[in-house]
Amino acid sequence: MASTDRNATEIETLYRQHGAALLLFASAISGDRGRAQDALHQVFLKAIENGSLSQAINKKAYLFACVRNAVLNDAKLQQRNMPLDLAQAWFSPPDRDYAGEQNLRRALGDLPDDQREVIVLHIWGELTFSEIGDLLAVSSNTAASRYRYALAKLRGSMLPKENPCADPR
Amino acid sequence: MQIHDDEQFEVYLKRFHPIAPEPVPTLRIGHSTRRSLSLGISLAAVAAVLVIGAVILHIRSNQVVVSNTNSDAAVAQRHAPSEPLTMRSANAWLATAPSFKSAVDGLAFRPQISPLPQGKQSAVAVLSKEKIRL
Repeated sequence: MASTDRNATEIETLYRQHGAALLLFASAISGDRGRAQDALHQVFLKAIENGSLSQAINKKAYLFACVRNAVLNDAKLQQRNMPLDLAQAWFSPPDRDYAGEQNLRRALGDLPDDQREVIVLHIWGELTFSEIGDLLAVSSNTAASRYRYALAKLRGSMLPKENPCADPR
Repeated sequence: MQIHDDEQFEVYLKRFHPIAPEPVPTLRIGHSTRRSLSLGISLAAVAAVLVIGAVILHIRSNQVVVSNTNSDAAVAQRHAPSEPLTMRSANAWLATAPSFKSAVDGLAFRPQISPLPQGKQSAVAVLSKEKIRL
Protein backbone atom coordinates (compact mmCIF):
# COMPACT_ATOMS: atom_id res chain seq x y z
CA MET A 1 0.00 0.00 0.00
CA ALA A 2 2.79 2.39 0.98
CA SER A 3 4.87 1.49 -2.06
CA THR A 4 1.83 1.97 -4.34
CA ASP A 5 1.26 5.39 -2.82
CA ARG A 6 4.91 6.28 -3.23
CA ASN A 7 4.76 5.10 -6.84
CA ALA A 8 1.66 7.19 -7.57
CA THR A 9 3.21 10.24 -5.94
CA GLU A 10 6.40 9.81 -7.95
CA ILE A 11 4.42 9.45 -11.18
CA GLU A 12 2.39 12.53 -10.36
CA THR A 13 5.58 14.48 -9.72
CA LEU A 14 7.06 13.31 -13.02
CA TYR A 15 3.86 14.30 -14.80
CA ARG A 16 3.99 17.77 -13.28
CA GLN A 17 7.68 18.18 -14.11
CA HIS A 18 7.79 16.80 -17.64
CA GLY A 19 4.15 16.69 -18.77
CA ALA A 20 4.33 19.92 -20.76
CA ALA A 21 7.50 18.97 -22.64
CA LEU A 22 6.18 15.45 -23.23
CA LEU A 23 2.95 16.84 -24.64
CA LEU A 24 4.87 19.22 -26.89
CA PHE A 25 7.03 16.32 -28.10
CA ALA A 26 3.96 14.15 -28.75
CA SER A 27 2.28 17.04 -30.59
CA ALA A 28 5.41 17.63 -32.65
CA ILE A 29 5.50 14.04 -33.91
CA SER A 30 1.80 13.16 -34.02
CA GLY A 31 0.57 16.35 -35.62
CA ASP A 32 -2.58 16.37 -33.53
CA ARG A 33 -2.82 17.75 -30.03
CA GLY A 34 -5.76 15.57 -29.02
CA ARG A 35 -3.93 12.41 -30.06
CA ALA A 36 -0.81 13.68 -28.34
CA GLN A 37 -2.75 14.16 -25.13
CA ASP A 38 -4.24 10.66 -25.41
CA ALA A 39 -0.81 9.14 -25.97
CA LEU A 40 0.55 10.94 -22.94
CA HIS A 41 -2.28 9.76 -20.73
CA GLN A 42 -1.90 6.23 -22.06
CA VAL A 43 1.79 6.22 -21.11
CA PHE A 44 1.16 7.45 -17.59
CA LEU A 45 -1.80 5.13 -17.03
CA LYS A 46 0.35 2.17 -18.08
CA ALA A 47 3.11 3.38 -15.77
CA ILE A 48 0.64 3.46 -12.89
CA GLU A 49 -0.75 0.01 -13.73
CA ASN A 50 2.46 -1.93 -14.18
CA GLY A 51 4.91 0.18 -12.21
CA SER A 52 7.40 0.07 -15.08
CA LEU A 53 8.76 3.52 -14.25
CA SER A 54 10.27 2.37 -10.99
CA GLN A 55 12.69 0.13 -12.90
CA ALA A 56 13.83 2.85 -15.32
CA ILE A 57 17.23 4.36 -14.59
CA ASN A 58 16.69 7.58 -16.53
CA LYS A 59 13.00 8.18 -15.95
CA LYS A 60 12.73 11.30 -18.09
CA ALA A 61 14.36 9.71 -21.14
CA TYR A 62 12.24 6.60 -20.59
CA LEU A 63 9.06 8.69 -20.58
CA PHE A 64 10.02 10.45 -23.82
CA ALA A 65 10.68 7.04 -25.40
CA CYS A 66 7.33 5.70 -24.17
CA VAL A 67 5.47 8.73 -25.53
CA ARG A 68 7.22 8.40 -28.88
CA ASN A 69 6.30 4.70 -29.08
CA ALA A 70 2.70 5.41 -28.11
CA VAL A 71 2.36 8.09 -30.79
CA LEU A 72 4.01 5.97 -33.48
CA ASN A 73 1.90 2.91 -32.58
CA ASP A 74 -1.22 5.02 -32.73
CA ALA A 75 -0.19 6.43 -36.13
CA LYS A 76 0.43 2.87 -37.35
CA LEU A 77 -3.01 1.77 -36.12
CA GLN A 78 -4.62 4.77 -37.78
CA GLN A 79 -2.54 4.02 -40.93
CA ARG A 80 -2.12 7.65 -41.68
CA ASN A 81 0.36 10.43 -41.33
CA MET A 82 -1.41 13.47 -39.99
CA PRO A 83 -0.21 16.90 -41.08
CA LEU A 84 0.75 19.09 -38.14
CA ASP A 85 -2.19 20.81 -36.55
CA LEU A 86 -0.85 24.31 -36.05
CA ALA A 87 -4.19 25.87 -35.17
CA GLN A 88 -3.84 25.35 -31.41
CA ALA A 89 -1.20 27.08 -29.30
CA TRP A 90 1.71 24.91 -28.20
CA PHE A 91 3.43 27.41 -25.94
CA SER A 92 2.56 30.07 -23.43
CA PRO A 93 4.45 33.01 -24.91
CA PRO A 94 6.70 35.32 -22.89
CA ASP A 95 5.38 38.88 -22.46
CA ARG A 96 2.17 37.98 -24.34
CA ASP A 97 4.18 37.61 -27.54
CA TYR A 98 1.41 35.69 -29.32
CA ALA A 99 2.78 36.55 -32.74
CA GLY A 100 6.13 35.11 -31.68
CA GLU A 101 4.41 31.94 -30.47
CA GLN A 102 2.62 31.55 -33.77
CA ASN A 103 5.85 32.23 -35.61
CA LEU A 104 7.66 29.57 -33.60
CA ARG A 105 4.89 27.04 -34.18
CA ARG A 106 4.94 27.67 -37.91
CA ALA A 107 8.74 27.45 -38.02
CA LEU A 108 8.68 24.15 -36.10
CA GLY A 109 6.02 22.85 -38.47
CA ASP A 110 8.24 23.64 -41.44
CA LEU A 111 11.09 21.50 -40.08
CA PRO A 112 11.56 17.91 -41.23
CA ASP A 113 10.17 15.41 -38.68
CA ASP A 114 13.56 14.12 -37.48
CA GLN A 115 14.92 17.63 -36.92
CA ARG A 116 11.76 18.78 -35.16
CA GLU A 117 12.02 15.81 -32.80
CA VAL A 118 15.61 16.64 -31.89
CA ILE A 119 14.91 20.34 -31.37
CA VAL A 120 11.97 19.65 -29.06
CA LEU A 121 13.84 16.97 -27.12
CA HIS A 122 16.92 19.14 -26.58
CA ILE A 123 15.39 22.60 -26.01
CA TRP A 124 12.21 21.83 -24.11
CA GLY A 125 12.79 18.20 -23.06
CA GLU A 126 16.30 19.11 -21.88
CA LEU A 127 17.71 15.77 -22.97
CA THR A 128 21.39 15.44 -23.84
CA PHE A 129 22.44 14.41 -27.35
CA SER A 130 23.48 11.07 -25.94
CA GLU A 131 20.00 10.51 -24.47
CA ILE A 132 18.40 11.69 -27.71
CA GLY A 133 20.62 9.29 -29.66
CA ASP A 134 19.53 6.37 -27.47
CA LEU A 135 15.89 7.37 -27.81
CA LEU A 136 15.94 7.71 -31.59
CA ALA A 137 18.37 4.84 -32.15
CA VAL A 138 20.99 7.09 -33.77
CA SER A 139 24.44 8.16 -32.63
CA SER A 140 24.82 11.21 -30.42
CA ASN A 141 26.78 12.89 -33.26
CA THR A 142 23.85 12.40 -35.62
CA ALA A 143 21.51 13.83 -33.01
CA ALA A 144 23.79 16.84 -32.53
CA SER A 145 24.14 17.49 -36.24
CA ARG A 146 20.34 17.26 -36.73
CA TYR A 147 20.00 19.76 -33.94
CA ARG A 148 22.44 22.22 -35.52
CA TYR A 149 20.65 22.04 -38.88
CA ALA A 150 17.28 22.46 -37.20
CA LEU A 151 18.42 25.42 -35.13
CA ALA A 152 19.84 27.19 -38.18
CA LYS A 153 16.59 26.66 -40.07
CA LEU A 154 14.51 27.89 -37.15
CA ARG A 155 16.66 30.99 -36.85
CA GLY A 156 16.43 31.65 -40.55
CA SER A 157 12.68 31.34 -40.60
CA MET A 158 11.92 33.15 -37.33
CA LEU A 159 14.29 36.07 -37.43
CA PRO A 160 14.45 38.68 -40.17
CA LYS A 161 17.48 38.38 -42.42
CA GLU A 162 20.29 40.56 -41.19
CA ASN A 163 21.06 43.17 -43.82
CA PRO A 164 24.76 44.10 -43.79
CA CYS A 165 23.99 47.38 -45.59
CA ALA A 166 21.36 48.43 -43.08
CA ASP A 167 21.85 51.60 -41.07
CA PRO A 168 23.07 50.45 -37.62
CA ARG A 169 21.23 53.36 -35.89
CA MET B 1 15.30 41.61 -31.99
CA GLN B 2 19.05 41.14 -32.34
CA ILE B 3 20.22 37.55 -31.77
CA HIS B 4 23.79 37.08 -32.74
CA ASP B 5 24.56 33.47 -31.87
CA ASP B 6 22.95 30.10 -31.33
CA GLU B 7 23.17 30.31 -27.56
CA GLN B 8 21.17 33.52 -27.49
CA PHE B 9 18.66 31.99 -29.86
CA GLU B 10 18.35 28.92 -27.60
CA VAL B 11 17.70 31.19 -24.62
CA TYR B 12 15.05 33.00 -26.66
CA LEU B 13 13.37 29.70 -27.59
CA LYS B 14 13.40 28.51 -23.98
CA ARG B 15 11.39 31.55 -22.96
CA PHE B 16 8.45 29.90 -24.71
CA HIS B 17 7.09 27.40 -22.20
CA PRO B 18 5.15 24.41 -23.52
CA ILE B 19 1.52 24.41 -22.40
CA ALA B 20 0.88 21.95 -19.57
CA PRO B 21 -1.24 18.89 -20.40
CA GLU B 22 -4.58 18.06 -18.83
CA PRO B 23 -4.26 15.99 -15.65
CA VAL B 24 -4.34 12.21 -15.95
CA PRO B 25 -7.85 11.13 -14.82
CA THR B 26 -6.59 8.24 -12.69
CA LEU B 27 -4.19 10.41 -10.75
CA ARG B 28 -7.07 12.73 -9.85
CA ILE B 29 -9.39 9.80 -9.08
CA GLY B 30 -6.77 8.15 -6.87
CA HIS B 31 -6.38 11.26 -4.79
CA SER B 32 -10.08 12.03 -4.63
CA THR B 33 -10.81 8.43 -3.62
CA ARG B 34 -8.37 8.65 -0.73
CA ARG B 35 -9.73 12.02 0.25
CA SER B 36 -13.36 10.96 -0.04
CA LEU B 37 -12.63 7.78 1.96
CA SER B 38 -11.24 9.73 4.90
CA LEU B 39 -14.01 12.31 4.56
CA GLY B 40 -16.62 9.52 4.53
CA ILE B 41 -15.15 7.91 7.65
CA SER B 42 -15.18 11.20 9.57
CA LEU B 43 -18.71 12.00 8.37
CA ALA B 44 -19.90 8.55 9.43
CA ALA B 45 -18.33 9.05 12.86
CA VAL B 46 -20.02 12.43 13.27
CA ALA B 47 -23.35 10.98 12.11
CA ALA B 48 -23.02 8.08 14.57
CA VAL B 49 -22.34 10.48 17.46
CA LEU B 50 -25.32 12.61 16.46
CA VAL B 51 -27.64 9.58 16.21
CA ILE B 52 -26.53 8.25 19.59
CA GLY B 53 -26.98 11.70 21.14
CA ALA B 54 -30.44 12.07 19.60
CA VAL B 55 -31.48 8.60 20.88
CA ILE B 56 -30.26 9.42 24.41
CA LEU B 57 -32.05 12.79 24.37
CA HIS B 58 -35.21 11.14 23.06
CA ILE B 59 -35.18 8.50 25.80
CA ARG B 60 -34.57 11.11 28.50
CA SER B 61 -37.30 13.44 27.25
CA ASN B 62 -39.76 10.52 27.12
CA GLN B 63 -38.96 9.66 30.70
CA VAL B 64 -39.56 13.26 31.75
CA VAL B 65 -42.84 13.43 29.86
CA VAL B 66 -44.04 10.15 31.32
CA SER B 67 -43.21 11.24 34.85
CA ASN B 68 -44.90 14.60 34.37
CA THR B 69 -47.95 13.46 32.45
CA ASN B 70 -49.95 12.30 35.45
CA SER B 71 -49.30 15.37 37.57
CA ASP B 72 -49.91 17.69 34.58
CA ALA B 73 -53.20 15.95 33.82
CA ALA B 74 -54.23 16.16 37.45
CA VAL B 75 -53.44 19.86 37.61
CA ALA B 76 -55.22 20.44 34.31
CA GLN B 77 -58.26 18.50 35.41
CA ARG B 78 -58.43 20.53 38.60
CA HIS B 79 -58.41 23.80 36.74
CA ALA B 80 -60.30 22.77 33.57
CA PRO B 81 -63.57 24.60 32.78
CA SER B 82 -66.56 22.64 33.96
CA GLU B 83 -69.08 23.94 31.43
CA PRO B 84 -69.37 22.39 27.93
CA LEU B 85 -66.51 23.34 25.61
CA THR B 86 -67.32 26.29 23.40
CA MET B 87 -65.11 28.76 21.56
CA ARG B 88 -65.82 31.31 24.23
CA SER B 89 -64.97 29.04 27.14
CA ALA B 90 -61.82 27.82 25.38
CA ASN B 91 -60.66 31.39 24.80
CA ALA B 92 -61.39 32.30 28.37
CA TRP B 93 -59.51 29.24 29.58
CA LEU B 94 -56.51 30.04 27.38
CA ALA B 95 -56.48 33.62 28.72
CA THR B 96 -56.58 32.59 32.37
CA ALA B 97 -54.45 29.43 32.29
CA PRO B 98 -50.95 29.72 33.86
CA SER B 99 -49.29 28.44 30.68
CA PHE B 100 -50.23 27.41 27.20
CA LYS B 101 -49.29 23.80 27.94
CA SER B 102 -51.52 23.62 31.00
CA ALA B 103 -54.34 25.25 29.02
CA VAL B 104 -54.09 22.62 26.28
CA ASP B 105 -53.79 19.85 28.86
CA GLY B 106 -56.84 21.19 30.67
CA LEU B 107 -58.88 21.17 27.51
CA ALA B 108 -57.68 17.71 26.57
CA PHE B 109 -58.21 16.06 29.95
CA ARG B 110 -61.43 17.77 30.90
CA PRO B 111 -63.98 15.36 32.45
CA GLN B 112 -67.06 14.43 30.46
CA ILE B 113 -69.53 16.11 32.73
CA SER B 114 -71.66 17.97 30.25
CA PRO B 115 -75.19 17.36 31.44
CA LEU B 116 -77.85 16.99 28.75
CA PRO B 117 -81.07 19.00 28.96
CA GLN B 118 -84.09 17.11 30.21
CA GLY B 119 -85.92 15.01 27.62
CA LYS B 120 -82.80 14.75 25.43
CA GLN B 121 -80.51 11.77 25.08
CA SER B 122 -77.02 11.32 23.87
CA ALA B 123 -77.02 9.85 20.36
CA VAL B 124 -73.97 7.76 21.23
CA ALA B 125 -75.71 6.34 24.30
CA VAL B 126 -78.84 5.43 22.28
CA LEU B 127 -76.85 3.84 19.52
CA SER B 128 -74.81 1.81 21.97
CA LYS B 129 -77.98 0.36 23.47
CA GLU B 130 -79.58 -0.62 20.15
CA LYS B 131 -79.03 -4.06 18.73
CA ILE B 132 -78.39 -3.62 15.08
CA ARG B 133 -78.96 -6.65 12.94
CA LEU B 134 -77.04 -6.80 9.78
